[in-house]
Amino acid sequence: MNGVGRRSVIRGSLGLAAAGALARPYIANAAAKTATVWWAQGFVPEEDASFKQMVADYEKASGNKIDYSILPFVALGQKMVSALQTGDTPDVISYDGIQTTLVLNAWNDKLVDVSDVVATQQAHFTSTALLSTKLYNKTENKRAFYAVPYKCASEPFHVWSDLVEKAGYKMSDIPNTWDKRWDFFKPMQAKLRAQGMRNVYAFGLQMTTNGPSDGNNVFHGFLIANGGQGLVTPDGKIHLADPQVKEAVIKTITYITTAYKQHYTPPGAISWNDADDNNGFHSKLFVMDFDGTISTELAMIHRPKDYNACVTMGLPLGNDGKPIPAMVGVIGGFIPKVAKNIVVAKDFMKFVIRPEVNNKYLKAGLGRWVPVFPELTQTDPFWLHSKDPHRAPYIEETLTGPSIPDYLAYTPAYAEVEAQQIWGQSYADVYKNGMTPTAAAENAFKQIEAIFAKYPIA
Amino acid sequence: MDGSSARVIGIGQPIVGRSVVRYTWRAGLQGPELIWALAFLVPYFATFLLFVVYPIAYGLWMGSNPALYTQLFSDPIYQETVVNTLIFVVIGVNLRMLLALGLSGFFMRREWWIKGLLMVFILPWAVPALPTFLSIHWMLNGDWGLLNNLIWDVFHVNGPSWLDQRWLALWSDVIAYVWKWLPFWTVILLAGRMAIPKDLYEAAEIDGATGLGRFAHITWPLLANLYLVSTLLGLLFTLGDFTTVYFVSGGGPANSTQVLATLGIRDAFVMSQPRLGVAAVMSAIPVLIPLVIWLMRRVRAAGVER
Repeated sequence: MNGVGRRSVIRGSLGLAAAGALARPYIANAAAKTATVWWAQGFVPEEDASFKQMVADYEKASGNKIDYSILPFVALGQKMVSALQTGDTPDVISYDGIQTTLVLNAWNDKLVDVSDVVATQQAHFTSTALLSTKLYNKTENKRAFYAVPYKCASEPFHVWSDLVEKAGYKMSDIPNTWDKRWDFFKPMQAKLRAQGMRNVYAFGLQMTTNGPSDGNNVFHGFLIANGGQGLVTPDGKIHLADPQVKEAVIKTITYITTAYKQHYTPPGAISWNDADDNNGFHSKLFVMDFDGTISTELAMIHRPKDYNACVTMGLPLGNDGKPIPAMVGVIGGFIPKVAKNIVVAKDFMKFVIRPEVNNKYLKAGLGRWVPVFPELTQTDPFWLHSKDPHRAPYIEETLTGPSIPDYLAYTPAYAEVEAQQIWGQSYADVYKNGMTPTAAAENAFKQIEAIFAKYPIA
Repeated sequence: MDGSSARVIGIGQPIVGRSVVRYTWRAGLQGPELIWALAFLVPYFATFLLFVVYPIAYGLWMGSNPALYTQLFSDPIYQETVVNTLIFVVIGVNLRMLLALGLSGFFMRREWWIKGLLMVFILPWAVPALPTFLSIHWMLNGDWGLLNNLIWDVFHVNGPSWLDQRWLALWSDVIAYVWKWLPFWTVILLAGRMAIPKDLYEAAEIDGATGLGRFAHITWPLLANLYLVSTLLGLLFTLGDFTTVYFVSGGGPANSTQVLATLGIRDAFVMSQPRLGVAAVMSAIPVLIPLVIWLMRRVRAAGVER
């Protein structure tokens, strides 16, 4: 072997080691100014473009670097769970789907307390945004902010006005109480089918066990309209014995499963994922949908005819005729405890929640996501006074009207209830296992009690 | 045995015996040569440790808490999942192998168009699994899927909701799986048939053996080991198959068509409980290990027979 001997290998190795040792401080310094960020991909390209612009603005203003990855939310969900399990995480994660992972990791003391970041804008947030991100930590035995809220969403109604009119009805006739509104669309199904629309249905009722989010959201919409808002209270307690709650749950299961058995919603609704009702609505498979955000409309923004034929409607009154709060899903960035650069991560999130930055970011995303700062609706006409037909009713429902957080913010037990799709399973108990709605509710209650027993909150 | 022979094989000379063992371990290499040989081996050992030993050990560690299995076994979805997995694996694999056995005989025919047909037949296997299964999912959609539209166009009746009833959905998974993997195993058995010497068939023909007789006395005995090994391999692969069920029925309706692989993904990533997800998959180990042992024995037996 000429040229490559043991000594030359040793010399080379020592040289490399020395070079590495000398270079290390510079690499470390560069790393100290860099935060890695995993962000959920937007539904429309404009959302991603606006995130990139926000990052560029931050880098220019701070001198730090953000090494970001924009991922589809299903892939991000899997990557995020794996990262938190293995301990090899980025510095900031923002996930748009159901917030189970956030809540469970806060409970397990795996996230950084970001109360100091939230404090920079605390007076400006909605109370729902604050409640949604102040999560319980079982190790500390207290609640603290484990996510920095920066956007939110709720579920408006989406209606094909052209189908309503084709069925011989007027949009102005749509009732303003919950059950009556849903009932209003039922007769349209037969009338449209008589006109050759063989497969059209009255509404797209997400009664799925797949989810992850829509099935739970639809259940909560009905539950609150039926007076069951107190199912879970901010102290993290569940109130299954409360007669009002119990009655609301049974009414909800009854209405949804009866509508399914009467074929007012596509049979496939029991297996839909969160995108399937959007796709069904776009293909005019049904006249009305109750679904989160205005992504349904924004997906058609470059087709003016469809964009304008679709009408966005906020929540009606509850079945008792009283206003009902919207259940608002709040999205926040969180920082794992094992993150390498918590300082830059926090600094970046402070930048994200500056109202002017946040406003610019969410506006560029076409308003699919709503700000968590109500004052923005007064200072910027974009949110409530633009020519866009969909934005104002959506903003009114989500931001300026009454709202409550998703119950999972109160306790990780409810996060597991949602993740297990207990309510979707209760519908299945009725349509698949032949139970009565009351028996299905009792069965769900048993499972929920068992889950809550695993997450005691003092 | 004279004294020199005894020295060569080391009888009564334990010290020499030990040096022979060391010599074998080093393969005759010493000094720098040994160092270089070890240096070249290190990447392979490191890769093996990193990508084989570590993931398996980590998985075993993640699923090592007995409480996970208590939680799992008390879950009614898990119980239904075990039944689904058995149906999916046992029926799917055996149906596929039986069809492959028959089709491999068909593709042995010498007509020119058979070769062309074989190329078309292989396409489902050649196409990536994800778009294939998504297409099947959409084809089976009860409202606007291709299949029900065809049924409507031809018979003017509404087709069933293929993916909205447990048994229809599970059978849809099985059929999709068989369709996807049938070509591969057909080609394997075709290769096995082609390796059978033709003179055996010619001799059988002289003895007056018919088609069925030739199959029973020549083809099957010579193909049986390959068939069995292929079936065992298929059982192992299918037990871990996630793609088919995830994309065709999605585990629905109401989680009634989950198999262990999809339930593991659901528990790990939807419910954010990765340890429970690993436990769901690990619960197949009592079936997997005997299968692997059986497979290894068959492979060894095949080697001996040869």
